[in-house]
Amino acid sequence: MITRHIFRRALFCFCLALLMVLPGAMTAAAAGKSTVKLGYIGPLTGGNSSIGLGARNAMELAILERNGDAGAKYSYELVSLDDECKPNIGIQVATKMAADRSVLGAVAHYCSAVALGTVDVYHRFGLPVIVYGAVHPDITYAHDYPEVLRIIGTLVNQNQVASKFMLSQGYRRFAVISDTTDYGKSHKEYFTKYIKEGGGEILEEFGVTADQQDFTAELTRIKSLNPQVVYFAGLTPLGVRIRAQMEKLGIKAQFEGVSGIKSEAFITGLGAELAEGCLSFLEGSPLEKLAGGDAFMKNYSARNFKNPPDTMAPFTYVAANQIMDAVEKVGPDRKKIISYLRGIKDADSLIGKVTYDEHGQNSEPYVSKYVVQDGVWLVWEDSEYASGKRSLKK
Amino acid sequence: MDLILQFCMNGLMLGMMYALVAVGFTLFFGVLDVIVFSHGDTVMIGSFAGLAMYWWLGSYYPELAVFWMTLWVLLAAVAVVALLGMLTADAMIVPLRKGPPLNTLLATMMLGTVLRESIRLFFPDGSNPQTFPGLLPDWSWQSGNLNLRFDNIVLFCSGACIIALVHLVINRTRLGMAIRAVAQDEEAAQLMGVNFRFIVLATFALGSSVAAFAGVMNGMYYNEINFGVGLLLGAIGFSSAVIGGLGNVYGAILGGFIFAFLQTIGVVVMPFASAYKDVFAFGAVILLMAWRPTGLIAEPASKRV
Amino acid sequence: MRRMAVFFSGPAGCVFLALIILGWSNFFLRAEEQFPILVYMLLVVFLGFVANLLHLDDSFRASVAGHERLWDLCLIIVMAALIWLFREDHYNLFLLGSIMAYSIAVLGLNVQLGYAGVINFSCASFFGIGSYTAALLMTRAGIPPLPGLVAGGVVAALIGCVLLLPVLRTSGHYAALVTMAFALLLRVFLDVSEWFGGPQGITVQPMSLFGLDFSRNIVFGETELSFYLKYDAAFLLLLCLAFSLVRRVERSWIGLALDAVRSDETASACFGVNIMRWKITAFTLGNFLSGTAGAMYAMMLAYISPANFTFADSLLFLSILLLGGIGNIRGVLLATVFVVLIPEKFQVIQEYRYLIYSALVLLMIVFRPMGLLPRRPRVYSGGRA
Repeated sequence: MITRHIFRRALFCFCLALLMVLPGAMTAAAAGKSTVKLGYIGPLTGGNSSIGLGARNAMELAILERNGDAGAKYSYELVSLDDECKPNIGIQVATKMAADRSVLGAVAHYCSAVALGTVDVYHRFGLPVIVYGAVHPDITYAHDYPEVLRIIGTLVNQNQVASKFMLSQGYRRFAVISDTTDYGKSHKEYFTKYIKEGGGEILEEFGVTADQQDFTAELTRIKSLNPQVVYFAGLTPLGVRIRAQMEKLGIKAQFEGVSGIKSEAFITGLGAELAEGCLSFLEGSPLEKLAGGDAFMKNYSARNFKNPPDTMAPFTYVAANQIMDAVEKVGPDRKKIISYLRGIKDADSLIGKVTYDEHGQNSEPYVSKYVVQDGVWLVWEDSEYASGKRSLKK
Repeated sequence: MDLILQFCMNGLMLGMMYALVAVGFTLFFGVLDVIVFSHGDTVMIGSFAGLAMYWWLGSYYPELAVFWMTLWVLLAAVAVVALLGMLTADAMIVPLRKGPPLNTLLATMMLGTVLRESIRLFFPDGSNPQTFPGLLPDWSWQSGNLNLRFDNIVLFCSGACIIALVHLVINRTRLGMAIRAVAQDEEAAQLMGVNFRFIVLATFALGSSVAAFAGVMNGMYYNEINFGVGLLLGAIGFSSAVIGGLGNVYGAILGGFIFAFLQTIGVVVMPFASAYKDVFAFGAVILLMAWRPTGLIAEPASKRV
Repeated sequence: MRRMAVFFSGPAGCVFLALIILGWSNFFLRAEEQFPILVYMLLVVFLGFVANLLHLDDSFRASVAGHERLWDLCLIIVMAALIWLFREDHYNLFLLGSIMAYSIAVLGLNVQLGYAGVINFSCASFFGIGSYTAALLMTRAGIPPLPGLVAGGVVAALIGCVLLLPVLRTSGHYAALVTMAFALLLRVFLDVSEWFGGPQGITVQPMSLFGLDFSRNIVFGETELSFYLKYDAAFLLLLCLAFSLVRRVERSWIGLALDAVRSDETASACFGVNIMRWKITAFTLGNFLSGTAGAMYAMMLAYISPANFTFADSLLFLSILLLGGIGNIRGVLLATVFVVLIPEKFQVIQEYRYLIYSALVLLMIVFRPMGLLPRRPRVYSGGRA
């Protein structure tokens, strides 16, 4: 009986001791090259996760390649966090990353609402961050934070190019559907502005929520207005639904999307037949046109990631490499990294030339035009549509 | 005129979809007095099960006639989802009835998340929208702004048949009698020799099968399915069931169509403010509830004190 | 052994338990890697098991029940100590702040659902109304933060009054629908309405009190303390106020009336309890608390947008209450820690985190259907409620 009591007491004390000792044992020792941590923040769960996961994998690829390079002075480690595309979670994880002094730079954010909230955090803690996918103009232009750079163009450029292109194709009557997120809303704002300036006519604008399933009511109304083009500002899932339902209602108008629908998923979701002839616009030069594009795709698939690269992967890949270049050149110091990144001019990369202006915005405003032909997104200039073999809907 | 007809067609299709989901909510509520919040995700699982079956058939029996293909897709969806429903009932909902009633709600909500995330992570390319085959011939008849499609009419009619069938099962069969008995008074029914566990499982199989049908119908109607539709569809199905009056199949149907009507009318009447249509629809729901606190077709309000 | 049990059922039990909680939270908050996080979580299960083996759980329970004031004091000290331990760690202070903000909101929900039995599925909406009120009053009308904080609560309570008629007329699942519709409606409304900042949200000015700017770090010579420390201190104060308010309501005759209304409306109406009045009181008080918490949270976050206040967030608040044990305000605190911290710590498993988290909650509900710390029945004799 007594032994049992002693045993119990010993067990109890042992647990307490374990509780106190554990954290000491947990601190891992680093060895070899000094390790530098780089951060990634993007949506890893929820509706936008396919893009966030692809982008994360691309960053991991960049880091793996750099670590395999014997010439690199540091070894790199990826810290990736999920912002769920929710601003409060975004601020939470951004605080975590930025306050951690061992993280030297980050590539972050697909959703503009999150990026708008977190730029203050990065500024406060002085963490250099390159925004890879959020396109709202205010993210770079509403402040003078040296820490915040953006590799993707703003949606202003994109819509300038898009509206000019559409008008030059002879389209005049547009019906506009946009989702009520900041992404859809700001796209709609700039697109309608440029179309009106160019002499086009916006027949009607519809706002839809980002999880809406049924668009038949809006589309029936659009059908009665008989537009030449249905312009949709939003992301792939909604784009797929709207295009599919247009067909169901027999709407013969041309479908035009924004960068949010330029993904493989748009075509697999619709099938090649329905996707045929859909238009989209995306910042940066097309991957297959540039040196290294094929190699990137090959390396990506060689790593057997669970998810396809999706649209934003090249941007994160380039951004991650820029930060690592900075670390190699100026050493692990946040301030110096910022000034190095700010000085990037005319740099060749996977997405074309990169130059950061005084707001940290990549000011090479090249926007590529894409059209779906036989189940692939083709650059407009290479497509049979441009050569006149096929024609868009009128 | 043709425009109004087109709006009606859309509204009817949408209403049928909501009604099918709402019927499940109302059945479960009738028998066990619980709200199964994962029901919307069950619908989503139904469409994915159907799609998987279609893929499998496509690779092994590409020559199969469309009719048989459709039948197998439906069967697969129903089988998977009915099994899932029974499992949910047996492992979670019945044991949880001992705790506070809201627990079931939380538990089924979490189950919904588990289902959703599982499809996203483990279905091939599940995080992206998937094409769902149309299966039915796409004949259509065009007149002005009206576009009548053969497949839509077939889907609508079969939806109506399914609801009628559920109604028959509940009102005309021995099983239905037992279900109604359990719904009325669980203990008394058990005293009369009704096997409670069996009835619960049967009800969940029935309700979930309807959900599976709704899932396949959803896929065939929109030609697109994705993992995230469950939460909103569940919320709308629940709203429809409650507007109509819980525990009443007619109420569920009525609620489904009312909700579809509210959503469509928002766009028709106020195209300039179409973004506000959900504000309008849900506002109307709140007003409706203030006017008829126990739904349009009220439960018999006998309360034992 | 018996002596040990007796010893721990005295005041020592409270102190000992508080120390354990302090130690564990300290280490758990610092854990970053997959393995230690798992170990710490298993440790909780293990410690519980050991305490059960040694029959110490009963002593602790008795100790906590017998020395309520001491126990509350211990909890406050634990929280304060945690805040102080992490004084330079922005991130963990931020987490603690969020935990306290959520706790206050859920305390409000507890008054509604736990005491009066008024179902509210739109807790996050009232939380959000508080946030938006404070943010708009401060940026558009230039009102100082402290009145803004109070206004957040008041406006939330007032807007709640609009819902009173449908909420009072309905009950059970029907009331759930009304509040759910409100939650969905408000989110869409905030999203599409330009005046409220639209989907890209609005920046909120920081709290400042008597010339003390909450958004600056505290500098003492060499050491620099995080500015979140001030927010956490303010939150702790608010939490103590809210806690004692709710506790007092529960122990007073108001709490008795609310209990009566919840358990049997017909019977309590027969005994002359005015059901309407108590439901209105509970609903309004609850919304006031949620709104105040939201206003403060917005100031700490410095940026709010409609995506923070969705129906899913309302369900999150509800799940905190259910996990903690409906009606038990200490359980609320425990469950908030769980619901806020676990998904955050699960960041290490990346895209699988929500899958695992939901499965975990599911298991908890199945194994502890009454919540982690169920509310005990009222004791009417002996002067303690």
